[in-house]
Amino acid sequence: MNELPNTQKKRDAADPASDEQLVAAFTRGSTEAFSELFARYNQPLLGFFRRRVADPAHAEELTQETFLAVLRAASRYEPRALFRTYLYAIGFRILRAHRRKAAFRLTFLGAAGFREPAAQPATDAEVVLHQAVGKLERTDREILMLREFEELSYSEIAELLRLPVNTVRSRLSRARMALRDLLAAPAPKSTAAELAESEERI
Amino acid sequence: MNTTAHAVTAEEIMAFLDGELSAPDAQIVAAHLDTCAECSRVAGQFRKASQELKCWTAPGPALSWDSFVLRAAGAASGGSIHSANAQIRAKSWTWKQWALAGGGTAALLLLVLAFSMPNLLRSRQALLRQKVAFQDELQLPMEGSAGKANLSRDGQPITDQQSKTLSNLVTLSTPGIASDSSGLFHGLGDHAEHSFGAADALPAPMIARTVSLSIVVKDFPASRASLDLILARHRGYSAQLNVSTPENAPRGVQASLRIPVAELPVAVTELKTLGRVENESQSGEEVTQQHSDLLARLKTSRDTEERFGTILQQRSGNVSEVLQVEEGIARVRGDIERMEAEQKALEHRVDFATVELQLSEVYKAQLNSPAASVSTRLHNSTVAGVQSAWETLFGILLFLAEYGLTLLIWLAILAFPTFLVWRRYKRKLAAV
Repeated sequence: MNELPNTQKKRDAADPASDEQLVAAFTRGSTEAFSELFARYNQPLLGFFRRRVADPAHAEELTQETFLAVLRAASRYEPRALFRTYLYAIGFRILRAHRRKAAFRLTFLGAAGFREPAAQPATDAEVVLHQAVGKLERTDREILMLREFEELSYSEIAELLRLPVNTVRSRLSRARMALRDLLAAPAPKSTAAELAESEERI
Repeated sequence: MNTTAHAVTAEEIMAFLDGELSAPDAQIVAAHLDTCAECSRVAGQFRKASQELKCWTAPGPALSWDSFVLRAAGAASGGSIHSANAQIRAKSWTWKQWALAGGGTAALLLLVLAFSMPNLLRSRQALLRQKVAFQDELQLPMEGSAGKANLSRDGQPITDQQSKTLSNLVTLSTPGIASDSSGLFHGLGDHAEHSFGAADALPAPMIARTVSLSIVVKDFPASRASLDLILARHRGYSAQLNVSTPENAPRGVQASLRIPVAELPVAVTELKTLGRVENESQSGEEVTQQHSDLLARLKTSRDTEERFGTILQQRSGNVSEVLQVEEGIARVRGDIERMEAEQKALEHRVDFATVELQLSEVYKAQLNSPAASVSTRLHNSTVAGVQSAWETLFGILLFLAEYGLTLLIWLAILAFPTFLVWRRYKRKLAAV
């Protein structure tokens, strides 16, 4: 990743440009603007995919695809929504396409056509957490993860998932309560297969 | 938590912790949390769940690809966004690119066709020109002396090779047809007979001629009567004749006339006087080879019949052999009669030229023609619409009656495997 010049760093520190301003600058030809956007969202976006895709290599590919899609659409970007929402919306579309392809390959080609290796959690706490999150209903899980990890607001999540804000709030509450119960319950001894299954479900 | 006993709900506590409440609502919830131990416990559980989630870390990126992204971004800003897009899209084509590529290929094909077609036509036209030039060269000295046909314009004898070339040219071009000053085509036999001495050795070609005329006439009834007179005068007849007299539209005649070949030039000239000629085309089909083949086969069949007759007269075999011979005679006789009929039809085609005539009247719109009223037109349209809808419905019913059961059987056969595959796909989708 290119480092920004010191003078610009000082100026950004004093008056950081918004994401939308950076996109506008990039469409006018500023490479530094995109570098700044990349620096801001490289790690969060990779985290977004790493938590949803078991294979780290796939996560990196999807992150790359998302940035390339942003590049492609930069000239058509209109700041009707926050850039962050826009970026994650693209990420979601790419993720869904990846899941559809993976499901298709698994359905028709079997494990030989597609093999998604399970990520290995580092600690026991992570194992328990992954299992608990994996047991949540899919939409509830997405809402919870978008709130907790991507730190999106309720309205941003609602826009991203095309749900009413009240639905997002009630589902988020339900997901947190369910997670609390799951984490509070004594953790059963998991077999390797169960662990892999919960990882895949996430 | 019992919501009836508390001023705030668990959702509101959660929204307060997430900073999603408005300032007045946030103040209310904060005040309630200060006084309500149960709600404070719920808030603590929410906080704890969030904190526990924080331990789910995502490892840092392997930065092998970011340089590519940044390079693409550099290209986008250094040149233009579009050039960068083009570079990126080279990996996977969009529908626009597919459409562009398809259109480009089609345009290229059209271009190739546009260049090649005139060349092909030109070569054919060049062949025709060559033929005409060759004939001109031959005809000039031959007009004065029919017996010296094998002399070229400069008095040199035409070699066999030249004669063969001429013959080939004539065969390759419109078979046996050349145009004279009146615009009518003559068969090769006509030319050959008066300009070639070599024609003495060759049988005269048989040409079945066809003329198409499209004529617009002012006085339709008079033209119709004249047409009958022309046919009678030239001993022709109409093989087919359709007269149409539609309302508020020009009247017309479409006829297929058969006129003796000898009378054809004069008859066509007279037909042209009926009105303004809009379209005229003349063609001829050489059937000499076909006729010769037919005669040869006929002769063979007659010889066979004669031999069968001789065998039958001798009666040297037993009864079954005699019966076989009689069957053979009957078969050969049938073939002979069929071929004789074909021969007559072929010769008739040659003797009588076909004139496809289309007479149409110059239409003059009538100002006083009563136009249908709006209500009538509406009524007619409605009736037509209802009929059309009914026919469509009836067609669907018929289709279902005919194929419905078969479709149901196939649906029943395919439904279960499709359901299994779909369920498997959904499961995999949920698992990925």
